[in-house]
Amino acid sequence: MTQRRALVGFAVVFALLLAVPHLADRLDFPGFYLTFMFSAFFWIAQSSSWNMLTGYSGYFSFGQGAWFGVGVYTTAVLAGKQGWAFLAALPLAGIAALIVGLLLGLVVFRLRSLSGEIFALTTLAVAFVLGSVARIFPAIDGGRGAFMTSVPLPEFLGEFRPAMYRMTLVIMMATVLTAYLVYESRLGWGLFSIRDDEQVAQGLGVPVFRYKMAALAGNAFFSGLMGGVWALQIGFVTVEDVFNIRVPLFVILMSVLGGTSHWMGPVVGSVIIFTILDRFNSAGFEDFNQLFIGGLLIVLVLAVREGVYVRLRNRPLATLLVFAGTMLVLLVVNDSSIVWKFLWATLATLAMALVPDRLWTSLFGRNRRTDEADAEPEKVTA
Amino acid sequence: MTLLGCTGVCKSFGGIRALDQVDMSIDRGEILGLVGPNGSGKSTLINVLSGFYPADAGAVVFAGQNILDLEAHEIAAAGIARTFQIPRPFGTMTTRENVAVSYMFGHEKHSLSSAREAATEWLEFTGVADVADSPVDELTLQQLKFLELARALATQPDLLLLDEVLAGLNPSEIDTSVEMIRRIHERGVTIVIVEHVMRVVMSLSHRIVVLDQGRLIADGEPQTVMADEAVIAAYLGGKGA
Amino acid sequence: MDANLLIQATVSGALIGGLYALMSLGLSLSWGALDIINLVHFMFILFGAYFTYQLTVSTGMDPLATALLVVPAGFLIGGALQIFFEAAKLDEFKSLIITFGLFIILQSLARTIWSADFRTLDQSLNPYASASVIVGDVAFQTPLVIAFAAAGLIAIGTRALMAHTYFGKAVRAVVHDADTARAFGVDSQRVGVLLAALASAYSALAGVLIATFQSLSPTMGVGWFGIVFPVVILGGLGNAVGNFLAGVVIGVAAGIATVVWGPLSATLVTFSIMVLALLFRPQGLFTRRATI
Repeated sequence: MTQRRALVGFAVVFALLLAVPHLADRLDFPGFYLTFMFSAFFWIAQSSSWNMLTGYSGYFSFGQGAWFGVGVYTTAVLAGKQGWAFLAALPLAGIAALIVGLLLGLVVFRLRSLSGEIFALTTLAVAFVLGSVARIFPAIDGGRGAFMTSVPLPEFLGEFRPAMYRMTLVIMMATVLTAYLVYESRLGWGLFSIRDDEQVAQGLGVPVFRYKMAALAGNAFFSGLMGGVWALQIGFVTVEDVFNIRVPLFVILMSVLGGTSHWMGPVVGSVIIFTILDRFNSAGFEDFNQLFIGGLLIVLVLAVREGVYVRLRNRPLATLLVFAGTMLVLLVVNDSSIVWKFLWATLATLAMALVPDRLWTSLFGRNRRTDEADAEPEKVTA
Repeated sequence: MTLLGCTGVCKSFGGIRALDQVDMSIDRGEILGLVGPNGSGKSTLINVLSGFYPADAGAVVFAGQNILDLEAHEIAAAGIARTFQIPRPFGTMTTRENVAVSYMFGHEKHSLSSAREAATEWLEFTGVADVADSPVDELTLQQLKFLELARALATQPDLLLLDEVLAGLNPSEIDTSVEMIRRIHERGVTIVIVEHVMRVVMSLSHRIVVLDQGRLIADGEPQTVMADEAVIAAYLGGKGA
Repeated sequence: MDANLLIQATVSGALIGGLYALMSLGLSLSWGALDIINLVHFMFILFGAYFTYQLTVSTGMDPLATALLVVPAGFLIGGALQIFFEAAKLDEFKSLIITFGLFIILQSLARTIWSADFRTLDQSLNPYASASVIVGDVAFQTPLVIAFAAAGLIAIGTRALMAHTYFGKAVRAVVHDADTARAFGVDSQRVGVLLAALASAYSALAGVLIATFQSLSPTMGVGWFGIVFPVVILGGLGNAVGNFLAGVVIGVAAGIATVVWGPLSATLVTFSIMVLALLFRPQGLFTRRATI
């Protein structure tokens, strides 16, 4: 019942987003809005796919850059160098990443002890190793990079920007839908039990190895697939731009901010972080990106353990008021671009979400539980 | 009729023989007490039977199938469930969800939608239904122990291995738990109980098996076994045996 | 393949393997004994190297003499960081995210201070860079010999420290069972802070040694992943001597791979060794709590 309603919701959102490029044409939106949106789709897909593994099963992965990079290089080699039709090469981007992921899982998930820690560290090294592989073989990169700029796209997708928008939209929706379906399934609950106590889970009958492999496969596949499309956006693909720690860093931050325990967490986190970063860059602060992100990551891990999404869901009215209110006020008084307005509204909502639960209940008294809220002041004075 | 038979089961850790050529059988429908001094290998045997440790040698046949080389989840699927000495609930889930997960997997596979409903039955049976929707960190030790039982039962096992379920409980809680174990047995579940409280073991068990330093030193009726000289010697510190 | 070239590669590889071991020891101790996968160790190495560079350039000090300042600084900062970890009560994965965050911050700080360009100590300031000891046809680069000797001594010294001193016994007791150790009067927090400080000092020293013969860039830290993790895993967590031997094995393998297949293949080879070790000898590699 709820599942059917959710599926209808997915269909509606998909249809609305699919209509955006047509509207943009009619209303003469600047093309840059589309770029902003499909870049957000990219990050939503990356962090949602990461969360299928790390959020659900608890296996911490730094491997996002590796799966993404394998996807990028798959289309760069097949479509860019070998002249394959782009849409023929694209599925292989997902499959190649999936194969690399499963090979790693085959090695690490078999370990009886420390497999979580070893997995985390191995995934941290693997992107770097794949980078050297790409550099060694001229057929892949050979240190000279790969061009994607002259790869033709099928006509039905439209111009470059709408085409990117449509492809990333489909992949993003597929990723989030998969994350949702897993969340509401036996597979999902098996993974949650692995996250909480793998040994007990296995003792109760959860086929842990197979489930972890499935989660890793989902993560690598969608990340690689999105990487395959993203090669077009990069244009000139180099090892330094692809196999670095930027992608895993952002993805971890987005998911941790949004919250890793729910499928919506990474979606919300991606939108917030991407909007902030995008405005940062356009204001000329690129150099401080990593400084800012590293700091934010630490603060979030220490301060908002359950993630912003859970907070927002617990304060639905405030979320709506703050976001819509800020948006409306800015629409009236301010003539900056809509993306800037969206940033301010997002930041206002984020600030609201960051108010700790305890302070929130003492200010507004919502969800107040008599045993806690009333006992609190006495403790302080005692 | 034999439900489970072990022959020549050995398990070493480093140089220490935790299990040394253990031969043992469990009949369908019985309650078997597994006793022995600390470090005698009781917990190791439970861990081997439930697939948590791979045995070094020997054979374990359960319901006609050799389960020695199976993984823990395959053993659970075959119909063996266990509890832990120190309760290990899934920390991010509610009590009900803990039980629902084990119902979904376990001996038979069930869908998520049926599991939440079915969990209620086991929560009521073990008397923790009133905390069904609480996060597990709000439960008392006894409730956690009963949750362990509910979770093991929800896998619908033929054989249930109870590893010191009574440890840490007060006398009245122990009585409630003993009653619970009797009711579980009445449902047709074969039970192996590892326990330090001898009063409980003697009254519950149909048969008792004694381990000492990894070896099986006695096997028989509770009264006979506990009168056995080797057993007394083992409990008094290994002198004279 | 020229036999001499192979011998030379093996010797240089073994020597630089000592340095790899020193680079890995801090992480290995922190992971094995403190249960914190502390990625900041990569930054201790990086900043150790940059500080040596900066001190030498600014004051004209002998690069090795900078160790007298850099290593104690590493010791203090590492200890302070551990106090923070203890106060924040982090589990293993939270500490991993936090140290990753610090890694990113420090890396970008290094780029802000020293720019993304390569920095190399000028020969006039650094008497070690081009020096070497020649035995027969084989050249032993002086900075590598120094690094190897330092790493070997530290490995043996750490082993002895763990085996024979009160501190070492306290560390082992805490690793084995922190609660029981506390009950017997071991101040587990102080032990942890001291150990973390020591581990960080080792990493800072590795940085000093690196600065004597390599060009520095802020992204070097990421490049070390492919070397350090294989060494840590092959060596066994917290096992100082095992770690040293693993460093030599990895160094020789990387050295030979460089000669045979070119420099790019080195990471691939070391990573493959780690994968093979994980596949075929995991039980021998994770003697985690017993070997310290």
